[in-house]
Amino acid sequence: MGAYIVRRLLQSIIVIFGVIIITFVISRVLGDPVTLLLPPEATPEQRAYLTRDLGLDRPLYIQLVVYVGKVLKGDFGQSFRHQEPAMKLLLDRVPASLYLSLIATLISVCIALPLGIISAIKRGTIFDQVGMTLALLGQSIPAFWAGIMLILLFAVQLGWFPPSGYGGLKHVILPALTLALFFSAATARLTRSSILDVLDMDYVRYARLKGVPEFVVIMRHVLRNTFITILNIVALQLGLLLGGAVITEFIFSWPGIGRLSLDAIYNRDYPVIQATVVVAASFFVVINLLVDIIYSATDPRVSRK
Amino acid sequence: MKKIALLLLTLGMVFVAGVCFGQPKGDLVVCQAAEVNALDTAKHNSITDINYANEVFDMLYYRDGQGIPQPRLALSHKVIDDTTWEFKLRKGVKFHNGIVMTAKDVKFSIDRMTDPQTKAFFAPYYTTIKEVKVVDDSTIQIMTKGPDPLLLKRLSMNLYVFPSDLLKEKGAETFFQNPVGTGPFKFVSWTRNDRMILEANEGYWDGAPKVKRLIIRPVPEAATRLAELQTGNADIITNIPPFLVPQMKVSPNVTVQSIPSGRVMFLYINCLAEGPLKNKKIRQALNYAVDKKAIIDNILTGSGIPMAVNLTPYHFGYDPSLKPYPYDPGMAKKLLAEAGYAKGLKLVFNTPSGRYLLDKEVSQAIAGMYNAVGIETDMKAHEWGSYTQILTAKRLQDIGFIGWGNTLHDADGNFQPYFTPESVFSYYSTPPLADKINKARTTLDEKKRFELYKEIQKEVYEEAPLVFLYQQIDHYGVSKKISGFQVRGDEQFVLYKVSK
Repeated sequence: MGAYIVRRLLQSIIVIFGVIIITFVISRVLGDPVTLLLPPEATPEQRAYLTRDLGLDRPLYIQLVVYVGKVLKGDFGQSFRHQEPAMKLLLDRVPASLYLSLIATLISVCIALPLGIISAIKRGTIFDQVGMTLALLGQSIPAFWAGIMLILLFAVQLGWFPPSGYGGLKHVILPALTLALFFSAATARLTRSSILDVLDMDYVRYARLKGVPEFVVIMRHVLRNTFITILNIVALQLGLLLGGAVITEFIFSWPGIGRLSLDAIYNRDYPVIQATVVVAASFFVVINLLVDIIYSATDPRVSRK
Repeated sequence: MKKIALLLLTLGMVFVAGVCFGQPKGDLVVCQAAEVNALDTAKHNSITDINYANEVFDMLYYRDGQGIPQPRLALSHKVIDDTTWEFKLRKGVKFHNGIVMTAKDVKFSIDRMTDPQTKAFFAPYYTTIKEVKVVDDSTIQIMTKGPDPLLLKRLSMNLYVFPSDLLKEKGAETFFQNPVGTGPFKFVSWTRNDRMILEANEGYWDGAPKVKRLIIRPVPEAATRLAELQTGNADIITNIPPFLVPQMKVSPNVTVQSIPSGRVMFLYINCLAEGPLKNKKIRQALNYAVDKKAIIDNILTGSGIPMAVNLTPYHFGYDPSLKPYPYDPGMAKKLLAEAGYAKGLKLVFNTPSGRYLLDKEVSQAIAGMYNAVGIETDMKAHEWGSYTQILTAKRLQDIGFIGWGNTLHDADGNFQPYFTPESVFSYYSTPPLADKINKARTTLDEKKRFELYKEIQKEVYEEAPLVFLYQQIDHYGVSKKISGFQVRGDEQFVLYKVSK
């Protein structure tokens, strides 16, 4: 198992390194930030000065070497637009993103697990059909529509929650619910199908034959064996969310990573784009790594492969 | 008995006075579409930045709603000679830390803007300033490199006055974490992408603000801004797209305030490249073929005003006697035929996507109108960043949609960039036209300047180097709970006179 973890760790490092290089190359082909950073009236001298100042006049490979060296120290450079370290701008957003992601995941699990379990156990019945229709709806409704509808209903009509902004539980519910609607759909469907797989297994039948109460059969024998699949999808979703929920953060004016990266892309703010992509990718890789480790701990077959 | 009555009367009057002229009270919440970029004014580059600075700092002059500079920290000016201006300063104005503002602070603040080390984004607007001299505590002189008729407008754009000693002592980075100015509101805190909190400066020289706290929030989604207003969480919301206006008009407790914007929309015509666009008749045909009214009515749901040239009444030099090109497809066809293109013409039509209000939709509508007179168009939509790059590199093909917001509200800011060869934006120029534009920008006599712009406008109109479209109308949502809010065509707001 130790060797397995070391191998996965090395793979993760290679992935992150690859991301660092790709972000550099892509953001250099996107366009010239100088035209966006200066007012229209700027003279050619002012343009040249800024190009030099930002290091954009040096050959690409030198820019890359300088860049990688700094990134390894956590330094992505100054944001072109805000004139502050890109990493600091990003780190300021992490708490808001983390908060929203965790609450959204929590709500999503609370919706998806019961929905998936009931649909599986009551397979083919009206419960199953309603449950899966809801899941389909959740997955097909775009976040910008769902978010605005939630605002109109719960903020404008009922007045239960504020329409937008960063704050305590009252503020986080609506954006988290918007995200959860989408993510719980996928989780519910996966929970349902993996339970169905297990329900036909001999050990489940045996447990029932033994006379174990149905509730215990489900909780102890079925759910436990579908745990890995569910954990996997929930973790992947959390990884995605941590990288920034762009549309939801935009609608609810949530100060997370998603809005930062969107603004950065609009403004060709290379340092910030690079920092967000690298950090979001790292989140994803780390969560994947953790899941793999939990996997191999709960199921020894994984690390033996 | 009389004494008691007098006492009661006095008490009553004190009470009434207390209610009417009392302490600032309540929170005023403003939701804007975009966030402030930075607290340091040298890093400012957008209207949201200017709106924060307007509350915390003062300038020597500030433009009124018509675009005319009015004295603020300056009391008056005198033009000593063509390149020397003397300014008398308001006495006894205090910074938020209690220090009195003097000429030394003003000199420091202007020098900071013009110093290349500051790397101020707006510095290009101040390159005409040569030197600032302190005459005495309440008098300064500004020397310009040449005659500069725009000096007052420059001073009222974003030249804020800072406490020089404090800024020097702390350094810009520390100072702007907790900025101190002479403005109507004091800085309290800023959480990026969430909110900025400002507090009434009760000793403000122009009267204390009516509200206790001012909260400025960025809410990028327009429907969410409207929800904030409808729920009473916001008092003023900006940047309302026209399609939300009907919804706002039926909301209780909400009023819509609309005003023509200083931003002008038009099409570029590349007159530099060889080809049919060098011919004036083709360019005029391009103007006659556009039904501006239909675009405004049907796409912008009424939020626009057709323009004759790329100027608005806010701009100094605007000539109201010029009327917009009428919609006349017959005339367009006739002109095309006269130019030798009776069988039609093929053009590349460029447009940004998502930069301006319904930009792509407007471009598509115009392309349809061109098609109707025999001009076939090949539509190319660009992402904004790459669009500006193509534009400024003068690589734009044929025609393209663009908007222009001139921060100085002067004809110079709209003509010089477009019709003088040295500008990166220019796709059309003739030596006599460039001469006139350059002469107007160094003429101090307002009457002569105005006459020059009248001539220039006539020529621009006749030569049609652009397809003139429309001036947008901006919409704001305002809560009925507040009073004293005045919308402006330059998207700025002044909030110390607003009460709740």
